[in-house]
Amino acid sequence: MNKNNLTRRDFLIKSASLMTVVYIIPDLVSKTEAKPLDEKVSSKTKWAMNIDVDKCTKGCTACVEACIEENGLYGMDRPETDSQWIRKLTLKDIKTEKIVELPMLCQHCENPPCCDVCPTGASFRREDGIVMVNQHTCIGCRYCMMACPFKARSFVHENLTEQLTSAPRGKGCVESCNFCANRIDHGSDMTACEEACQKEGHKAITFGDLSNPKSRVNESLASKPSRRLRSDLKLKQRVTYSGI
Amino acid sequence: MDKIIFQRLKIEAPLFWKLFLGLGFFILVGYLCAHYMETEGHYVTGMNNQIVWGMPHVFAVLLIVIASGVLNVASMSSVFNFKLFKPLAPLSALMAVAFLISGLVVLVLDLGRPDRLIVAMTTYNFKSIFAWNIFLYSGFAAILVVYLWFMLDRTVSNYSKPVGVFAFLWRIILTTGTGSIFGFLIARDAYGTAILAPLFIIMSLLYGTVIYFLLLKVINYFQDTLMTDEVKDNLRKITIFFLFANLYFLALYHITNLYISKHYDYEVFILTAGGIYTIIFWIGQVLIGLLLPLYLLLNKNSNNESNFMISSLLVVFGSFAAIYVIIISGQAFPLNIFNDYIIVESSFYDNVIHDYTPSLYEIGLGIGGVALSLIIILIAIRNLDFLPSVIQIRKPLVDEKSD
Amino acid sequence: MGQNFYRYLFLFIILTPLNISSHNNEPHSIKGSSKADSMTQCVEPTEIMQKEHFVFLYHQRDNTVIDGIRTKQHSLANCIDCHVGYDEKGVAIPINSEGQFCQTCHVQTAVNIDCFSCHATVPRDKGMKRIKASDNNNHLSDKIKDITTYYHSNNHE
Repeated sequence: MNKNNLTRRDFLIKSASLMTVVYIIPDLVSKTEAKPLDEKVSSKTKWAMNIDVDKCTKGCTACVEACIEENGLYGMDRPETDSQWIRKLTLKDIKTEKIVELPMLCQHCENPPCCDVCPTGASFRREDGIVMVNQHTCIGCRYCMMACPFKARSFVHENLTEQLTSAPRGKGCVESCNFCANRIDHGSDMTACEEACQKEGHKAITFGDLSNPKSRVNESLASKPSRRLRSDLKLKQRVTYSGI
Repeated sequence: MDKIIFQRLKIEAPLFWKLFLGLGFFILVGYLCAHYMETEGHYVTGMNNQIVWGMPHVFAVLLIVIASGVLNVASMSSVFNFKLFKPLAPLSALMAVAFLISGLVVLVLDLGRPDRLIVAMTTYNFKSIFAWNIFLYSGFAAILVVYLWFMLDRTVSNYSKPVGVFAFLWRIILTTGTGSIFGFLIARDAYGTAILAPLFIIMSLLYGTVIYFLLLKVINYFQDTLMTDEVKDNLRKITIFFLFANLYFLALYHITNLYISKHYDYEVFILTAGGIYTIIFWIGQVLIGLLLPLYLLLNKNSNNESNFMISSLLVVFGSFAAIYVIIISGQAFPLNIFNDYIIVESSFYDNVIHDYTPSLYEIGLGIGGVALSLIIILIAIRNLDFLPSVIQIRKPLVDEKSD
Repeated sequence: MGQNFYRYLFLFIILTPLNISSHNNEPHSIKGSSKADSMTQCVEPTEIMQKEHFVFLYHQRDNTVIDGIRTKQHSLANCIDCHVGYDEKGVAIPINSEGQFCQTCHVQTAVNIDCFSCHATVPRDKGMKRIKASDNNNHLSDKIKDITTYYHSNNHE
């Protein structure tokens, strides 16, 4: 009955407004909107980082300090055993002898060797591409540290007491950069190191979602060629470097 | 005809308890070392974020490799129908169990979280060779126990041959798995080559044979265990064969690496410029562990038993050097992260050939593991019938008649 | 009679440790100082929480670590935030110290808690503790400066 009463005009208006709701409005809302807290991470989001080596400044360790503060990585003044999730390297080009500096961190491979070798599967890759350690099942065998081509991982060598609520970590487990997973899950699209780098005004580190064309990392990747380290290993890292 | 029976070790009680307490002391020390490393954390050891596997792993891998190797004698008797070794086979399987258990104990006690052993036993990542090894090791222990039972229980001894063949195949796969722990590591220049698996197999054959000979010699000191000249001669011959095979695979491994240009730098490092590691490689692994024993065994007085003893001891020393070189120097050599750049400065020792000073705790744990394997063997041969001896049937008959 | 006396004495002596409270002479937090003390009910009915809190925690921990779900209801951080007690100066007392919320029951039931070797025992946000940020980085130069590895020099001659 009702169906028959639907005029052509009504139909057009209704379908137009429906189209607005379904197709147009979502486009107006920014796509970087965070996932709700109760939603699982999905492979629709692809977190990635690009580091522009030309912008990385000599002697600046803002990213390293920010990481330490974000994750409570206070050291014990024992450099050989203290954890380092991100570190600065100074490099010399073998041909031109040009000196460059860059931050080195977990490269968040899509084919991570650490996850392949982990006997319990504690080393795993989250749906959104973050490679991290499930410290509830890590038995501390350190095989992942043997397998990582970038020396990205650290083993906690002593009892810890002053952990942050947002960054649990403890003796006997392996740990590494997790792209500030806690921050990101709570809605941020910026890691602590990127934030620090921006604050310093260098903007060498750009982070973001690869599947969002407007993300900072995509803009940076579009503006300059970038490459993966040890590309011979075909690990498909999500961290790339421009300018080297 | 002579009849072979199996007996317990007839050793005087005071001497047994002295040995027991002596070995027990080292086990206790090993346990205390492990406990201390565990409660304090690994910073008290020589291991760190650069050398992540240290002395406990050297001991553990060596013990596991030996475990597979000492089964030689049993395999030759069951699989290859080598009758001479048949009486000595149960002892060989027993030693395999003992070395395997103690190797695993050392490995587990060095974990960051040994309290989570149950996690390791219940959650598996089947992509990991380590996870497969957990199966291979525990499976090997189970097979060996069945094998022992079938060999010693005459009612089921007909089945000992198929079980023996199975154990033989399993141990080859097991040592392949152990070698693959390193062979599958693509990140490091020292590893990442499949040839490590056969190299480990041949190492296990060599080390297992000499360890078996040495232990048998010690047992023979207390009690005659059919260690005839023929047995010694055969053990000596296969030792020579394994020494050659070991040399061959070692050379092949290094020559292959020299041709793979991305491994070239590591080869130059280990062969010429690695300081202490180069010394351990040439002096420990090659000279003492392979060449000297070969020289002694092939020389004119090669039938001399003390020659074989000395060679065996040299091989044992060399085995330790070999595993040490594979595990430690492979990590000491820095990772090659950048192709076109030299790392000038790093807070994480990215540009350093790292040195490693093992702590006493690690060595204590390792020695405790060795003592554990010896005490298992000691207790077993004293309480169970493992040692073969001959009853000359004719002689007792004569005695009876004279009675 | 005398034998019975010794029997009871013996029982008394071996059971004495059970009579002694686990947290005698320990500084107690002020009663009612935690947020939970002023609430009528936990995130689930109390009876369920007493028996099954670890089930919620295990479930939440896997959801959080593997799937990135960060809801507060069953999160350990939220438990601690609400149940942690404070001393006279208003400083939070570690929740696993003797006499505090987690430890009281876990001592009684002799169940070891594995959470706090890694997890913070009081609400602790970043910046609340002064972290010596430079600790990890100052040491580098003196140890490494002079070393150029063989591999590098050889590689690039």
